[in-house]
Formats: sequence, C-alpha cells, structure tokens
Amino acid sequence: MTAPAIEMRDIDKHFGPVHALDKADLVVAPGTVHGLVGQNGAGKSTIIKVLAGIYRRTGGTVRVFGEQIEQITPAVIEAKGVHFIHQDRLLVPSATVAESVFLRNEPRVGPFLEHRTMRRRAQELLKTHFNLDLDPGTLVQDLSTAQQKIVQITRALANDARVLVLDEPTAALVKKEVDNLFEVLRRLRDDGLAIIFISHYMSEISEICDTVTVLRNGTDVGVVDPREVGIQRIVDMMTNRDTSEMYPPRDVTHGEVVLEMRDATAEPHFRNVSLTLREGEILGLTGLLGSGDKEVMNALFGQIPLDSGEILLRGKPLRMRSPVDAVGQGFAKIPEDRRAHGVATALSVRENISLASLLSMSKRGLVSRKDEARVVDDLIADLGIKTPGRDQLVKNLSGGNQQKVVVAKWLSCESEVYLMDEPTVAVDVGAKIEIFTLMNRLAAEGKSMIFLSSDLEEIVEMCDRTLVIYRGELIGEYAKGDIDADRLLAAASGAASDETPKERSTA
Amino acid sequence: MTAIADGPPRAGAHRGRNISKLVIRLGAFVGFALIVIYFAFTARGFTTPYNLTNIVEQSTILGILAYGMTLVFAGTGTDVQRGGIDLSIAANAGLCAAVYAVLMRAGYGGYVAVPAALVTGMAVGALNGFAVVALRIMPLLATLAVMNIAEGLELTLTENTVVAVNSPLIDTLAFGRFLGISTLSWVFVIVSLALIWIAHYSRTGLRLYAVGGHAEAARAAGVRNGSYVYGAYIGAGLLAGLTSILIVARLSSSTPGTGQMLLPVLAAALLGTVFSRRLIPTIGGTLLAALFIGTLANGFQLLGISSYWVSGVQGALILVVVAATSFAKNS
Repeated sequence: MTAPAIEMRDIDKHFGPVHALDKADLVVAPGTVHGLVGQNGAGKSTIIKVLAGIYRRTGGTVRVFGEQIEQITPAVIEAKGVHFIHQDRLLVPSATVAESVFLRNEPRVGPFLEHRTMRRRAQELLKTHFNLDLDPGTLVQDLSTAQQKIVQITRALANDARVLVLDEPTAALVKKEVDNLFEVLRRLRDDGLAIIFISHYMSEISEICDTVTVLRNGTDVGVVDPREVGIQRIVDMMTNRDTSEMYPPRDVTHGEVVLEMRDATAEPHFRNVSLTLREGEILGLTGLLGSGDKEVMNALFGQIPLDSGEILLRGKPLRMRSPVDAVGQGFAKIPEDRRAHGVATALSVRENISLASLLSMSKRGLVSRKDEARVVDDLIADLGIKTPGRDQLVKNLSGGNQQKVVVAKWLSCESEVYLMDEPTVAVDVGAKIEIFTLMNRLAAEGKSMIFLSSDLEEIVEMCDRTLVIYRGELIGEYAKGDIDADRLLAAASGAASDETPKERSTA
Repeated sequence: MTAIADGPPRAGAHRGRNISKLVIRLGAFVGFALIVIYFAFTARGFTTPYNLTNIVEQSTILGILAYGMTLVFAGTGTDVQRGGIDLSIAANAGLCAAVYAVLMRAGYGGYVAVPAALVTGMAVGALNGFAVVALRIMPLLATLAVMNIAEGLELTLTENTVVAVNSPLIDTLAFGRFLGISTLSWVFVIVSLALIWIAHYSRTGLRLYAVGGHAEAARAAGVRNGSYVYGAYIGAGLLAGLTSILIVARLSSSTPGTGQMLLPVLAAALLGTVFSRRLIPTIGGTLLAALFIGTLANGFQLLGISSYWVSGVQGALILVVVAATSFAKNS
C-alpha cells in the first residue's frame, strides 16, 4: 500500500493552559477528498495551522508521503507539495494575477523577471485547469471572490501541489460557483491529488468528500465515509451531549409584542428576515460563522443599515441610523468582545455602570455623586456582582462579573430590549449559570432578549423560540422543546434543507 | 465545464473604482503637463535646454532620496496611510554628508570617506529596520526617533558648522560632463535604471511589493517578511548615503539643514503613487513626481515667487494626493 499523503499522529497543542489538540490524528490518502469537520473550537483550524507550520505542535508526528517532518515551516511544507487555500483569500490586492500565481516561484532570465512568461503561463494554467479566460494582468483587487479562490488554487498547481488544503473554500461563493469548484476538485482528485476539505456546510461535506475525520474537543472521534453513515451521524459525533444542571428553570408569561422586524434586507449580509419579540421572551438567534445571524442583531442595534424592510418598536416604525438611535429607543447590547466594546476595563465599576446613564442621573448637567453611588450600589447588590466595592477597577474582576457590569450598565438606563451577542464566551461555568439566572430575572421583569450564541446547547435550553439563519436567510423557527442541539446544528449547517427542495441562496 | 464566475459580481463597484483611479492618474498627468505649459509661456527661459537640464539636476537629490522612501513604502505598506514610512531619510543623508565631510577634512581621502558615508547610511537604515521589525514600534514613531538620533549625531560631528570639502570626486560630480550631460544627471539616470530593475524586474522587488501589499499573503506564500522590511530600510539608508555625496558635491560642503528635505521627499514619494497604474509607489512614478516638484521649484524661481511658497505647495500636494488616492481606493 502506498504511503498516505498526510499522516498526522497524536498531535498535541497547548496554548498556555488551553489544550487545543489532544492526541489528534489526521490521515489522508492520495487521490481522495478528505473532509475535516467539528464544531467551533473543536480544533479544526488548529490542526491545519500545525500542518501549515503556523503553529508549532507540542507533540506528535507528521509524515508527508511517508517522510517524517520534524520542524514544519511554511516554506518546508510547501516544498513538500502541500498547499493551503486559506479561508481569507490571502493574495496581494495590488499584485496582478500572474504575479500572484508565481510569487516565490518567479521565472527569470538572468537577473531579470520574465513578466511575459509569467503572464503566458498563468493564462495557460487558468485555461487548462479551469477553462477560464482571465487577463493575467488583472489586479487581484479587481477579481471576484470566486476568481480569487481560483487564482489561489492555480498558484498551488503552478507549484506542483500534491496536497491541497482548502479551508472553508465555499464561504463566500454562490451555488453555481460552488458546483464549478467541486468539479475542479474532483478532477484534481482523479489526477491523484490529496485534498483536505474543511467546511461547516454538512451538505457540501457529503457531496464532495470520500472520507471525513470528525474532531471534538481537540481529538478525532471518528473517520467515516459520509455517504455511508449520513449527515445526521456525523453531526451526532460532532456534538457532545452532557447537559448538567446549568440551566435554571424559568416560568414567565409573555406579554405584548415589543419588537418586530419586517422583511429586513441588508445586502450582502441577510435578506427578507422577519421576527417578533414579546415582553418577557428570550428569542434565540443562531447560525454558522458568517451566516448573517450576527448582522441581523447588529442591524437591530443600528450598526448595519437596512436596504429594505423595517424595524418596529411597540408597533411604531423606527429609524435606526446608529447605535445612538438604538440606545435612545431602549435597546441595550451586550457585545461579544466585551473588552473591546462592552466595558472600559481601566475604569471602575461605578464609572462603567453610570457611563450610559449619566444623563438621566444628572440635574442641570451635574451628576450628583450621592445619587450615582446609590444607583450603582443597588445594581451591584441586585446582580450579585462580586467586587470589593464600587470603585474597584473592572479589569480586576472575573469574566463573568465583567459581563454583569455590562448588563448593569444597561439596566441603569432602564433598557427594554437586550441584544446579547455571545454573552457566555470565555466565562467559566459558574459565571455562565449566573448570567443565565440574570437573563431569567430580566425576563421575569418583562424585559425582552435576543440571545445569540454559537453554543447550540445554550440556545436550546435558554430560548423560548429559536431562529436559524443560513446563508443570510431565515430558514427555520423552532419553539422550545421542539428541537435539540443536534438538529439545530443540522439545520444551521443546511442539512435540514434536504427535506425541502435543495436550494442555496446567492451570497 | 463553464468558467467559474463569468464576471466579477460586484462589477459596478470595481468599475467605479477603476474610473476614479483613471481620473486621478489622468489628472496627475494633465496637471503636470498644464504646469509645464504654463511655465513655458510665462517663465522666461524655462524651455531653454540649459534650464531643462538644470531641472533634472535639481531633481536628482530629491529624486534619489524619494526612491529610498519609495522602497520603504513598497516593503511596508503600499497603502501609504496604514503602512510604513521613513521619516529619518533626509536627516540620515545629512548625517552621512557630515561623516563624509569630516573624514575628508581629517585627511582620510575618498577611499575611506565615501564607503564610510554609505555604511553610515545603511547603519541608520538597519536601526530603523530593527526598531520596526524586531521591536515592533510603529514606523512613524520609530523613524521619527531615528531621525532625531541622526540629526543629533550630525550636529555633534559638525558642531553645527559648514564643513567645506575639496576633492576630485566632488569636482567631477559638481562640474563634470559626459556626452553633454552633467555627471549629476548621469548618476540620476543610472540609479533610476538600477532601481527600476530591482523594484520591478527582479524577484526581490516582486516579493518586496508582496510584503508591502499584504504581509499575511506574502508570509503564506513563504516569503520571509522581516528581511524584506529590513532590506527596504537599509536600501533607503544606502540611497541616503549616496545622496549625501551628491549634496556635498552641489554645495561643496556639508551644511546643516539637510533634514529640511523631508517634506519634499515625502511629497515626491506620495505624489509618485498617482502616476502609477495601480496607485502604488513605483520608481517610475516617483521619478515623474520628483521632476514635477523640481519643475515647480524651478518655475517659481524663474517667476520670482518666494521659495517659501514651494514648501506650502508641497504640503498641499501631500494632502491632495493622500486624500485622492484613499478616496479612489475606498469608493
């Protein structure tokens, strides 16, 4: 039997205390398309970056066509014929197509570059491999996304690639372009190339891959043939089900409709999205990375202008041009990156909480320290923020408590609608439970929440209803109890659309 | 199979951007032409062969220093606003001139003094590279600090005085002619050709532009980015060293105040971008820009307009060029 094209065994990778890869294996045979799947944080991109020489592995062995490689650097691995087509199209925007194809492998006569040869050979390669008539003098910045992908693959082929690694290659492509890309990949596979295909889109994995390695928590949990076992089985392998008592119960009757979004479109992020939110309701919003779920939330907060459609608050249409408008209407947002957007970590708890509400506290332009202290102390006690005092700097608090400060900030200005963007990212389990308890309390007070999380378990357990966005379109709405995390992931990955006529939006 | 993506989906946006790029480039060329025509009609003696060669000579020092800045732009960010810069280049030339002049005064002769000036320039460039690559200091700040170091060293060496220099090399550079063209102009031509080769017809140049155009992409292609940034700064330093000899030749001495060249050098390198197809710094573009600024200075002189105006015009040019190019890139 011939040696595998790529043989990674027992790969370990630590980032400080985080164990990103735990004895993970990845073995790819030549002449196959090999899928690599896993949830966010499962270790997909880490293992690929180890192979690419961007991260240095902490342990394990890597063989390429049987040859063991100790120290991987980008140059070494490329010399072995392993080429990476990165998700963010890594091309120089001001370079021409020809220059991009031959960068680091430039044809020359003596000390001079052969611009003409470069152009001619680039044109030939594009024509033979992709049947694409593209002027090799075109600047990369003037190419479409699909064309840039093609240029990257052409560059790999010009360098005699034997292994192609494609990281989310279809993320920004429309259906027709995806089909064409797959046709190219199949042909390259038949020519004997080994192709590693990383994608969130389960339907694509089952369409193109001969074998699939499933990663979970930094370990490979199985190598399967997707056509044999089916998507559902792969999704089961990806998700880990051990729900403990993380989710406090809640019993709230929903009131009137507070917020409504009607047929909202904001190209290229999402289109024709409608949703309603009632008093005391927690509405889940989820989708894969880049699906547009985040943008829907940003649009509700005035960060993305709508092309068409409208946003109504208590039946009254709103004009949202900026977050300032949104805050004025009683919207509050808990941003994902709280260090960057949510709290000023160098300021005290008191200053952070009162920042957003100074106006409502001030009398004739002056802030009464006594009033401020009273409001802040009440909130600290109310939310159970663990801090030695109101003048403690926020950066000295734990992640969960910082998150509570963000919430307190909005509570102090009596917001009605809370937009929560990944509020549980990078906080420990205890803090998560406290955040969930706080959400329940807000709901009990009649506040409404939209909860965006890529942790589907949380969504399923916490939300009264959940909306799934797939490639910019609202493809499903599920009431609590009607769906579990597995099926939600399948829906978000586009697998559920197998039941209905298969359709992909044009991104 | 059908071709993938028959046309760019956002063709409209691209077309708009290409049109505004075209307008800017046309504007630059037309502007240059109009100014030449204006001076030809209004400034007495502007079109005489003597004056035209004079413009080239006047532009030589500016042009070669601007080449150095162009190399730094190319290697650290072809988008000049977010990329690197070398604020120390003019002060570096001043320091090199001082080193050369002081060594000549001390009687060392050209065989020691010329290499010493060039090595000084490269050392200052290497210091810039070290600060930017190894210490990861923002180029604007790093090279500002190095500029002050170079100025300080220059003043220490010359004690803020004029150091006169006499040597056959200086005489040749200042007064020599070959095939009816002055030595200074020959130096300009040779340096320009060499740099056009390095920047636009060599592997090194292609990779340098890749590093400046998208550092991550260059790294992913296996280019060792750090050495190219070092190379750009050291190259700029070498050009500063070379220019210092020309400066001494033109003035027959090392004089304080070479650092004042920074504004026109920056103006020339930035203006050069609008003469290029891709709106990025190129040697050819910088050459045209240096001649443009040289023409302006010359025309103002002939018209008897105060030279103080030239500085204002250069500052305005920087603003207009940077605004226009970033507008074209964003639209």
